[in-house]
Amino acid sequence: MPAKRDLRCIGLLLAILAATALPRAQAAAPEKDEIISQLGRFDTAPELDIAALRQKVIEKSKSRSRTEPEPSKRPLIVPELVGLPTFTVDIRFDTDTPVVRPESYQTVGRIADALVNAALLPYSFLVVGHTDSNGRREANVLLSQRRADAIRDVLVNTFKISSKRIQSLGLGEEQFIDQAHPTSAVNQQIQILTIAKLPEQSEQPPQATPPSAAKKKSAKKK
Amino acid sequence: MVRGGSILFVLALISPSLASAQAMRIGSAETMSFADASALLAQSCGADITANCRGVNLDANRMRECLSRNTDALSPQCRSDYLRAFDAIQKRIVARVAVANACGREIVKLCSGSTKETSKSIPCLISTRGVSRNCIQAVDNAGYR
Repeated sequence: MPAKRDLRCIGLLLAILAATALPRAQAAAPEKDEIISQLGRFDTAPELDIAALRQKVIEKSKSRSRTEPEPSKRPLIVPELVGLPTFTVDIRFDTDTPVVRPESYQTVGRIADALVNAALLPYSFLVVGHTDSNGRREANVLLSQRRADAIRDVLVNTFKISSKRIQSLGLGEEQFIDQAHPTSAVNQQIQILTIAKLPEQSEQPPQATPPSAAKKKSAKKK
Repeated sequence: MVRGGSILFVLALISPSLASAQAMRIGSAETMSFADASALLAQSCGADITANCRGVNLDANRMRECLSRNTDALSPQCRSDYLRAFDAIQKRIVARVAVANACGREIVKLCSGSTKETSKSIPCLISTRGVSRNCIQAVDNAGYR
């Protein structure tokens, strides 16, 4: 069966070539499927007034009350966000700026790829910025807002994701990713949340069966 | 065995083109993903951006402008790649428009949608049988799958 063995050789060769041709990852970008599977599990939309939330966060960061709890005991400022489909991602910015470092370009591109994917097209999203508890509380809210805005801008302007699908919110150190460790760098990550299903998305082919999850899978085998 | 060895050798030489031919045949995209295009920019121009365009975000217009303004200072690698990276992003975006043309029949007949709102019909196009090869290719080029 020389033909068969040759085929196997081709496969092996291709695999080796593919492996060596891959660029060495600096900061490993997340997989597209991972983003899609996290953000695609959408159930019900909460009522979110983003403008009002921004205001609320800024005001909270200015509170100077004596009874103010320490960072690890602060109550969540937007508890509505907690149950939503969330993708937490490490995006590196220049210090104290909203400028994304080149090492994170691939990651931002990957997020754009996921948002363009059919599975996520029916949804809209919230880009949430966070910080750790180092630095001034008010400044942290502003920085996280500017960073969330920057990611939204890149998605909208550079990758032309519809601006209707993406909003942004900076939570600073008012709601931690890891509240038990408020000073941890883990808290500087960006989160993408699925917050709504876009209206009038219900058109189904009348004669064909509605695309179920199982059917999607079989169509994907190509 | 000798023959096998020489076949292997020849294959090693031509396999990159073979691999891409293979990719075409199974109908994968002819455009580059946003992640790959962004990675290309970062890999070829990361140091140049840090040195010459500090403070400029990943904005296609502003970054391209900054890099072209600093062409003389760029590394050869960056100079030869940055336009390619931005073009790849642009190509992927423009590919969305082509879906309305390539999938017009499917959008209207199979998905009872409108070519004016193509993106709403995308999930249907992907999960429905009887979609033309052309349409599938357009969908892939736009990165919808």
